[in-house]
Amino acid sequence: MRAARTAYPLKWRIMDALEGVAAAIWPARFRRATPYLMLLPAVLLVGLLVLGLIQIADASLRTLDTTTFQFSDDYSIANFRRALTEPLFLVVAQRSLIAALIVTAVTLVFAFPYAYLMVRTRSPRLRKFLLIALFLPFFIGQVVRAYGWLIILGNQGMVNEALGVVGIAPMRLIYNYPAVLFGLVQYMLPFAVLMLAPALTAIPEELEAAAGSLGANWVRTFIHVVLPLARPGFIGAGVVVLTLSLTDFAVPAILGGGSQDFIANAIYDQFFRTSDQGLGATLALMLVALGSILVGLVFALFGAGTLAMGRSRA
Amino acid sequence: MSGSRSKSIVLWTLVTIALITLSAPTVVVLGASFTGGNIITFPPDGLSLRWYARISQASDLRNAFLRTLQVATVCTLVAIPVGTLAGIALAKYAVRFEKSIQIYLLLPFTIPLIGSGIGLMLVFGKAGFLGQLWPVGIACCVINLPFMIWAVTASATGLDPDLELAAANCGAPPLQVFFSVTLPAVMPGVITGSLLMFILALNEFLVSLLLVDARIVTLPVLIYNSIRSIITPDLAAISVVFIACSAVAIFLLDRLVGLDIFLKSK
Repeated sequence: MRAARTAYPLKWRIMDALEGVAAAIWPARFRRATPYLMLLPAVLLVGLLVLGLIQIADASLRTLDTTTFQFSDDYSIANFRRALTEPLFLVVAQRSLIAALIVTAVTLVFAFPYAYLMVRTRSPRLRKFLLIALFLPFFIGQVVRAYGWLIILGNQGMVNEALGVVGIAPMRLIYNYPAVLFGLVQYMLPFAVLMLAPALTAIPEELEAAAGSLGANWVRTFIHVVLPLARPGFIGAGVVVLTLSLTDFAVPAILGGGSQDFIANAIYDQFFRTSDQGLGATLALMLVALGSILVGLVFALFGAGTLAMGRSRA
Repeated sequence: MSGSRSKSIVLWTLVTIALITLSAPTVVVLGASFTGGNIITFPPDGLSLRWYARISQASDLRNAFLRTLQVATVCTLVAIPVGTLAGIALAKYAVRFEKSIQIYLLLPFTIPLIGSGIGLMLVFGKAGFLGQLWPVGIACCVINLPFMIWAVTASATGLDPDLELAAANCGAPPLQVFFSVTLPAVMPGVITGSLLMFILALNEFLVSLLLVDARIVTLPVLIYNSIRSIITPDLAAISVVFIACSAVAIFLLDRLVGLDIFLKSK
């Protein structure tokens, strides 16, 4: 009897029981629905965001009564009118959009050579070094990185102290627009490189050699061979950097010191300083729309690039 | 890499600037945490560990860190099953409305963080969940879920469907096929994804800021609230906790799956 028991170990019995349960609640004839069942938890989880959007839309249609601090029961579009006409929000929106465009351009200029060198180098050591130098800040988070820049660039920061040693009067290096742009570029670099690298790996190195042997110098090879073939990477990186910098909160808040607010900061202020939830929700909804339009536009024009997550299509 | 001298000069110049920009805050925070003075000066006032001694005494910092760990754990534990199943389903099966489902699952990336954060704040507020830590974990999971799904699909596309058929043909029932063929094949993706989820939740700032109140602040929010115009080294010493976590995560990622996985083309 004992021999039989060892011949059929406990693990198998458990698996048998589990298979039995699985077969009872999900019989084989449901098989075609299995992928949908597997997707269900993710769909439900992301559904929380959809619920959130509905709540935001609801709040955006209610106006704040400034005498009672109550929100109206009936809907009106007064908040949207205010959001579109108040000059402050226009300034903030303009500032964020221009910043997003500049940051995207600058980030891609620096991310491309980084990704290229990382993919093409023959030295595994250099590749690992570049990867670690990329992931270390990526994994540290925005607040700590912005804090690092405060130490370097602050009014009593290292740069100003160093300038003082050589007798130059301290300069105001933070709490201005360039400081925010600089902080954003630093924040976005890892994202951009990680989106570009797979696209560059997909380009066979022989193509570059072929272009070279046909007489193209490296600049022409880049312009006519590498850059066009890396397009999916540029789309992925561009979309990610554009939307993330357009909607960033921490960098403008910490390095802008309140004087360089972006849209996200204006939304936060409406919720937690002015306590006008309706107007804040309106701005949030408009930002979501702006972001979606930008992403949709890029995808419609160029496809999803390296952002696609489904099966690879030949 | 082939090419001329001018090519390497241009490449290396740009890469060097990028490297300096990437590393400067980390290096400076590390350096500042060891300063001996009361404020961070240049040149530094000697070396000491006094700020580390100081933060190890501060219970609010320790509690904030423990809360942050809790949030990251909830986030990762939810993300692993949800993201793995969704990733395998997307990578292996021809799903109807595949394109729509993909766009839907990318919503966490297309909706700006401030929008997601405020939406979740309103939803959790209505449900009466605010003031607890687990909703923060769930929120971190939702906003970063595409990372998990990506990581899994990337390794699932490399899995030959014939292997699963072969297992079934040898008499393995569906669950056994899943646990002994499919899951091991996507394991690198699951590990990568869960490490990413954990570390991103550990650092998550904006969504935490919106969802926590003064009693349950997480460490990034606490650091943000403590940043004043005068820069004291104790904040630098706490920040080193994040640098250490980051280093551990990179080490694990490199050991378990290899960092090169991020360079692979799909």
